[in-house]
Amino acid sequence: MRRAMILASFFAASIAAAASSAHNHKTDDRGVWLQIARAPIKMRSAKNPYEGQQDAVAAGKKLFRQHCAECHGDDATGAHGPNLRSPGVQNATPGELAWFLRNGNLVRGMPPWAGIPDERRWQIVTYLKSLGVAANSDASKARTPTGREPAE
Amino acid sequence: MLAGNQISESVCPRTATSRLGFLRSFVLWAVAAALWFPARATAQETPYFVAYSHHLEEPGNLEIETYSIYGTQKGGGDFIAPWMELEYGVTAWWTTEFYIDSQHTFADSSVFTGTRWENRFRPLVHEHWINPVLYVEFENTTDADKTLKEVVGFDSQFDAAELNSEANRAHTHELETKLILSSDFKGWNFSENFIGEKNLGHEPWEFGYALGADRPLRLAATPRPCNFCRENIILGAEMYGGLGTVEAFTLSGTSHYVAPLVAWQLPNGVTLSLSPGFGLNDHAHRFLLRWGMSYEIGGFGRKLRSLFQ
Repeated sequence: MRRAMILASFFAASIAAAASSAHNHKTDDRGVWLQIARAPIKMRSAKNPYEGQQDAVAAGKKLFRQHCAECHGDDATGAHGPNLRSPGVQNATPGELAWFLRNGNLVRGMPPWAGIPDERRWQIVTYLKSLGVAANSDASKARTPTGREPAE
Repeated sequence: MLAGNQISESVCPRTATSRLGFLRSFVLWAVAAALWFPARATAQETPYFVAYSHHLEEPGNLEIETYSIYGTQKGGGDFIAPWMELEYGVTAWWTTEFYIDSQHTFADSSVFTGTRWENRFRPLVHEHWINPVLYVEFENTTDADKTLKEVVGFDSQFDAAELNSEANRAHTHELETKLILSSDFKGWNFSENFIGEKNLGHEPWEFGYALGADRPLRLAATPRPCNFCRENIILGAEMYGGLGTVEAFTLSGTSHYVAPLVAWQLPNGVTLSLSPGFGLNDHAHRFLLRWGMSYEIGGFGRKLRSLFQ
């Protein structure tokens, strides 16, 4: 019984330690930039198979609410995580975003979403790209992480 | 301390009462947590019962899971072994999990069989064709444990034929390690686990394996929210068994199972899963049926922290 309590205490201590340290980066989207910049060249130019499809936007919105809104907010402006409507994110190519979704950023708390099928990740990308840059985003970040000019 | 751990429930009813009280309060706390922190979050973890994939719990999320296994038993009563899991994503690369095990054997008794504390670590930062995860678990259980969360060494169905009053006297402390290898390809997940388990009471290392594959019935999501749609149904199969010990690394004399599985992932964070399992030789239980339900609470850590601010 006492050992059971000790094990339960270890588990609770893990949660407490994590709760005190998790999500320190909050709305800082530099981690997203830096990670997106690591996308391989092949993925940067990858074409979104759902580009411009309204059904994919709706499906992506549904998936975003299920998987992403808890950290990034229902409007993707970053409730507890980075703002996904910042220029740094919105100016990334669909391929870069798809690569970032698949790989995440383990060090900065973004889990890899490789466990959901490629099709659903592309649907989320389609939704994200449909949002555009939020009006209150920092204009000084209007270049892509890889140094390109923003897409028109 | 000694009495609490080494005397069975039938011998020491006060210990049994306190264990059941601990189990009851644990369940109540878990239910309270689910009610107190209602937040939808859909897990991407694979719904395997025995095998593990490289997908960890999302950081800050708490998953409350309750599972049961029914097994047929030669030379003894059939059994149902329920267990409960609390799984928490400490970071994006570390998931910790706490288990409470129990079992009921027909024509025998119901017993609390112990606790386990599990940790999984992802050593590589990017996705690869094969993704490793390191697993380490400390088990504080008795020989009456029948959850069959892993099969190692020469584990056999005849081990489970012992009466609860006898089996629950033998207390075991075990260290279980796993090398989890897992890949995602075109909507499929393929997982291979190599298991090494050491009884800390001077027993030799025992080995086992678990394999799993699964896939959702539909890969792309539909535009509208839905419960009864193919994208929420996952089909798969597992195969697992023992590989002998460090002194006799072999398939001979070990038990093996194959188990198809189906899971239904609801958009509100609830996952229901079911898996009939079939023993492949005489050492294995002839039939197993596993079922379970899990509920994911998104942002649990953050909400917990906010209570103290």
